[in-house]
Amino acid sequence: MRALVVDDSRAMRKIIAGALRKLGYETVEAADGAQALTVLGEGPLPDLATVDWNMPVMDGLTFVTQVRANREYRAMTMMMVTTEAEHGQIVRALAAGAHEYLIKPFTVEALEEKLALLGLLPEVAGA
Amino acid sequence: MTPSTETVPLEPHSVEDEALSQIVDAMWSSYFGHVEPLLPAFEPHDVEGPVLCASVGISGARPGLVSVVVERSGAAALAAALLQEDEVLADDDIHDSLGEIANIVGGNVKALVPDAGALGLPGISTSQPLPSSAARQAARLDANWQGHWLTFVVWLAAPAHAPAHERTHTPTTTRSED
Repeated sequence: MRALVVDDSRAMRKIIAGALRKLGYETVEAADGAQALTVLGEGPLPDLATVDWNMPVMDGLTFVTQVRANREYRAMTMMMVTTEAEHGQIVRALAAGAHEYLIKPFTVEALEEKLALLGLLPEVAGA
Repeated sequence: MTPSTETVPLEPHSVEDEALSQIVDAMWSSYFGHVEPLLPAFEPHDVEGPVLCASVGISGARPGLVSVVVERSGAAALAAALLQEDEVLADDDIHDSLGEIANIVGGNVKALVPDAGALGLPGISTSQPLPSSAARQAARLDANWQGHWLTFVVWLAAPAHAPAHERTHTPTTTRSED
């Protein structure tokens, strides 16, 4: 399985990508929503995108909205991974098309739990 | 007026020292659980020597600023621990890591502020930036990690319905090492 990690922080990209690789993912990274759209355009389509909210150039909510507007990307699951912790923000992200929401700080176990709920743990998906 | 670093709660259920401490604790256990714990100080302890400060702004009805100040050597050690790297890190990586720490704390603080707007992107400086004149110190946490002092500070403007003496405040002066 393949995951796109979208976050403007290199440190956070490394943490998230490292956790996903341990779970069996191949990972690609982007530093903002615009870069992420470029990655998607180049293909292949990842199974999962983890998306930060506050990023320069293009924020995560705009990215999610643009991805959802493109039928070619419909098969990709999107999970917001962000410090935006208010209920209203979670509702906004889910309404825009995100499938799951993980608030920073998070543990690797919490990430694994969310992926299991989505049926996106490589071991689970391959079973 | 003498600048004050005294922490005064703005209103019940708002951002106070205990809430800030819980947010920092959660971050520490998530990303620094493999290293020594952060030890809270019992009294305020200003970070001395050359410092780095990461801060994020909060907009909305009560605009504010959340910052973390640490010695430069402490910032390098924090980044190495966050990234689990043994090698000497570039300044970009150190700034990025400290910025993400401020971002995580700031985002969770924002969730406690009624009618908060947007969270800004992290900024890095060599001194603590001054918040707006309307902001006052709402919470502060001084702590030590591996011999390095860190200070987390939350500045927030008083709510519009607060008494006048709570809405005017002279912020702490900053100490620059430049």
